[in-house]
Amino acid sequence: MLSRIADSLYWLDRYMERTDNILLILRTEYVLSLDEGTERSNSWQPVLEHFTTANRAQLDALSMNTPEALAFVVADTGNQNSLRALLTRARENARGAQDQITKEVWEQVNHIYHSIHADGFEDGLKDRDAVRLLDGMTEMTTLYRGVASGTMPRSIGWSFMNIGKHTERCMTTLDLTDRYLRAMDYDLEDQKDILYWRQLLLSLSGYELHLKSYRNGQHTRNVVDQVFFNRHFTRSLRYTLDKIGHYLKDVTDANPTQESEVLNRFFGRMHSRVRYADLDLIGEVTPEAFIRQMRDDLLRFTNLLAQAFFSYA
Amino acid sequence: MAKVYLFRVRRPAADWEKSGKFRIFGNNVLLPTHFLTNIQHMTGGSPFEQYPLRPGFWDEMISDGSVRPEYRHTFDTLRQLSAEDLHQKDKLAAELFMSQGITFTVYSEDKGIERIFPFDILPRIIRGSEWDLIETGIRQRLQALNLFLSDIYGEQQILKDGVIPAELIASCPQYTRQVHGIRPAHDIHVHIAGIDLIRDADGKYYVLEDNLRTPSGVSYMLENREVTKRLFPDLLSANRVRMVGNYPLLLHQNLLSLATRQIAHPVVVLMTPGVFNSAYYEHTFLARSMGIPLVEGRDLVVDNHKVYMKTTQGLRQVDVIYRRIDDEFLDPLVFKPDSILGVPGLMSAYRKGNVVLVNAVGNGVADDKAVYAYVPDMIRYYLNEEPIISNVPTYQLSDPDAFRHVFDNIGSMVVKKTDQSGGYGMLMGNKTTEEEVIAYRKQVEADPRNFIAQPIIKLSTVPCFLDGRWQPRHVDLRPFALCGPDGIRIVPGGLTRVALREGSLVVNSSQGGGSKDTWIVED
Repeated sequence: MLSRIADSLYWLDRYMERTDNILLILRTEYVLSLDEGTERSNSWQPVLEHFTTANRAQLDALSMNTPEALAFVVADTGNQNSLRALLTRARENARGAQDQITKEVWEQVNHIYHSIHADGFEDGLKDRDAVRLLDGMTEMTTLYRGVASGTMPRSIGWSFMNIGKHTERCMTTLDLTDRYLRAMDYDLEDQKDILYWRQLLLSLSGYELHLKSYRNGQHTRNVVDQVFFNRHFTRSLRYTLDKIGHYLKDVTDANPTQESEVLNRFFGRMHSRVRYADLDLIGEVTPEAFIRQMRDDLLRFTNLLAQAFFSYA
Repeated sequence: MAKVYLFRVRRPAADWEKSGKFRIFGNNVLLPTHFLTNIQHMTGGSPFEQYPLRPGFWDEMISDGSVRPEYRHTFDTLRQLSAEDLHQKDKLAAELFMSQGITFTVYSEDKGIERIFPFDILPRIIRGSEWDLIETGIRQRLQALNLFLSDIYGEQQILKDGVIPAELIASCPQYTRQVHGIRPAHDIHVHIAGIDLIRDADGKYYVLEDNLRTPSGVSYMLENREVTKRLFPDLLSANRVRMVGNYPLLLHQNLLSLATRQIAHPVVVLMTPGVFNSAYYEHTFLARSMGIPLVEGRDLVVDNHKVYMKTTQGLRQVDVIYRRIDDEFLDPLVFKPDSILGVPGLMSAYRKGNVVLVNAVGNGVADDKAVYAYVPDMIRYYLNEEPIISNVPTYQLSDPDAFRHVFDNIGSMVVKKTDQSGGYGMLMGNKTTEEEVIAYRKQVEADPRNFIAQPIIKLSTVPCFLDGRWQPRHVDLRPFALCGPDGIRIVPGGLTRVALREGSLVVNSSQGGGSKDTWIVED
C-alpha cells in the first residue's frame, strides 16, 4: 500500500473517531445541563477549552450560552476542531484514498459531509432540539462505522484505520479522565458522589457497564479502574491499547523493517505500563504522573508510526 | 408523410395565426396547423407538446414531422410521463451524482461549494449502422495519427515528402523535441483517445477535434449509463442498448499488455495531479474500476532510471503509468522546473524504456488545431485510403488568401487558437460585435500561425428536459478509443456533451455544458 494512502486511512479514522467522541460528550453535557442541582457548573468552559480552539475572549462569550457554544463546537469553521472541520478533513482524507476504501465507505463519508454542509444545518442547534441534531449526526457516524466494518477488506488498510481509531479513542479517554481527576487534585481516596462520575462515564458510554461491574461504594477507585484497566470496556486504556497492538502486529509483520522493530519495542513498553499496572501502582507514582507519562508515550508512538510507514513527502 | 415548414416570425405573429394555416409554436416558431395536429396527436398532452424544432438544424429525434425510428420506443414511453414525473427523475439523477461524489468544487468566500456537472435525463440515441461507420472512421483516423507520431518523432518522412509543411511542425509549440528518437513500447503513441464528432445540418458526422493527450469524460459516459439504469430500467433493455460497462476492463488489459518487464504481475498505476484537479473523480473512478493504485507525483521516485512507488513495504517498481498529468508537468528536470506535480527523472526512465507512459509524451503535435487540417492527408499518405469521416473545413490563417476570406465572411466563421481547448480563446463570428472582431483580428495578425478558422457548424439538436418542458439543445459526441498491441477497440457509445444555454453551440463543461447518456441501439 502507498504510504500516502496509509497515512490518509489512519487520519480518516482518527477524525471520524474524534467526531464520535465529541458528539457523545456534547450530548451528555447538554442533557445534564438541563438538570438543576447536579455537580455540573452549567458552564461549557471545560468542553470549549478541551475540544475547540477558542481563545480567551471566545471562552468568556460562549461559556454560559448553550446554543452559541454548541454552534461553535459543531459548526464554526473558525474553530479548527469543530465537527464540521473534522468531518471535512475526514472527507479530504477519504477522497485522497478513494481507490483503497470501498465505494460504500466513500459514499457514507460523502453523505455526512453534504449533510453537515446543507443550508440551515445549524438551525437545529438554536432551538431546544439540539439533541435531535446531535443524535442525527451520531447516527451518521455510527453508520460509517457499520459500513466500514461490513465492507472494508481486512487488509493492511483496515489495520491502519483501526490503529488511527483506537489511538484517538485512547487519547480522548486519557484527556477526559485527566480533567475529572484534576478537579479533585488527583486524590484517589476522595470519594466523590457517583453523580460526579456519571457524567464522565456517560461521555465514554461506560455508565451501564459501571453499574453492572462495580458494587462497592469506592466510586473514584472504581471509575479509574474501569477507564484505565477494564479490558471489557471499549474505551478503556487497556482495551484500546490491546486493539492497537493487535492491528500493529498485522502491519509490522507485513513490513519487517528496522523502523517497525523500533516501533514494536516502543509499543510493547507502553502497552505493558497499562497491562501490568493496577490502582496501587498508580497510587504510588501518582495518577497525574501516570497520565502524563501515557500521554507522552502516545505522542511518541504516533511519531514513530509516521516515521515507519507514512514517510512519502 | 407531411412535410414540415418552419418559419421564424417576421411579421406580427397574430397575422399568421389569423390565416388559420399556421400557429405560433414554442419559441416564436410558426408551424403549419396540420403538422401541429400531428405532433399533438403524437404527444398526447405531455411536455413534448411544446418541443420547438430549430429550423436549419438536424434534430436527432424528429425528422420530417415524425419521430426517427431509433427514438420511437423511448418517445412513446416518455410521452406517457407528466412534467412532474420527469422532474422527479431529474431530481433523482442529481441526488445520485451528489451522493457518489461525482462533483467538482467551486471555491468562493473561503468555502467550497460542491456542484454536479449537469446531466440531462433523455438519452441521445444513435443507430447501430451509423455507429459502425463512426467506429471504422475513428479506427482509420487513429491508425494514421499513430503512424504520424512515430514518423514525426523519427524519420519525418511526411515532411520530406512535402505532405505537411515543415514550418507548421517547427512552429508548433506542442512538438516536444525531448522525445525525438524515443520509440514507445509497441510503437503506440496514442493509447487512449477521445475524438470529438459533430453532426451537421446534412446529417453527416464530422470530426471537430482529436484529443490525444489526456482526454477526460469517460467516467461520465459510464456513470451516465448507471444513472439511466436507475431512471429508465425498462427502456434500456427494451431498446437493446449496446454495453459500455466493460471499458475499464479493456483499458486495464491494454495497460497490462504494454508492460516491458517479463513478469507475471506488472505494476500499473494511475497518476493524478491530486484531489484539487477537476477530473479527480474520474481518476479515482478509473483506478477503482481497474483495481490499480492511484498515485500522485510525490508517491513516486526514480532511482537508476527506474520508477518506484513508495509503499508501506518499501519501494516497488512501476511498469506502466497511466498519467493524467500534462506533458509539461511530468518531470521538472526536463519540462517546467517549478512543477511539483511530477517526478524528477521520470523522462530518463521513459527514455530507457523502463517505464511506459500512457499516453506517450509529445502527442500534442498531432491534436494541434493547425495540424488537424492535415489529418485527411495523413490518412491518404500513410494508409492510402480516403478518410471515412471528414474534417470540418479549416482555414490556416497564416495563408493570406484564407485570412482575407475568413474575415470577409466572419459572420459565419469561428476562429480558434491552435493551442487552446475547452472553448476558451475563440471568436464566434455570429455572436460578436464589430469592435471585438477588430481586436481579435489584431491578435491574429500578430501571430497568424496560432489561429485557424472554421465555418460555424450547425451542431445537431436533441431534446433536453429544461424548465419543465422539452427544448432542443446542441450536442456533440466524444467516443473513446483504446489502442493496444492487439488493435483498436472503441466501446459503443461515448460522451454526448450538450450546450445547455439556448442557441449556444459551445458544449464544453467549463462554458455551461452538460452531458447525456449515449445509446447505440440495434437497427
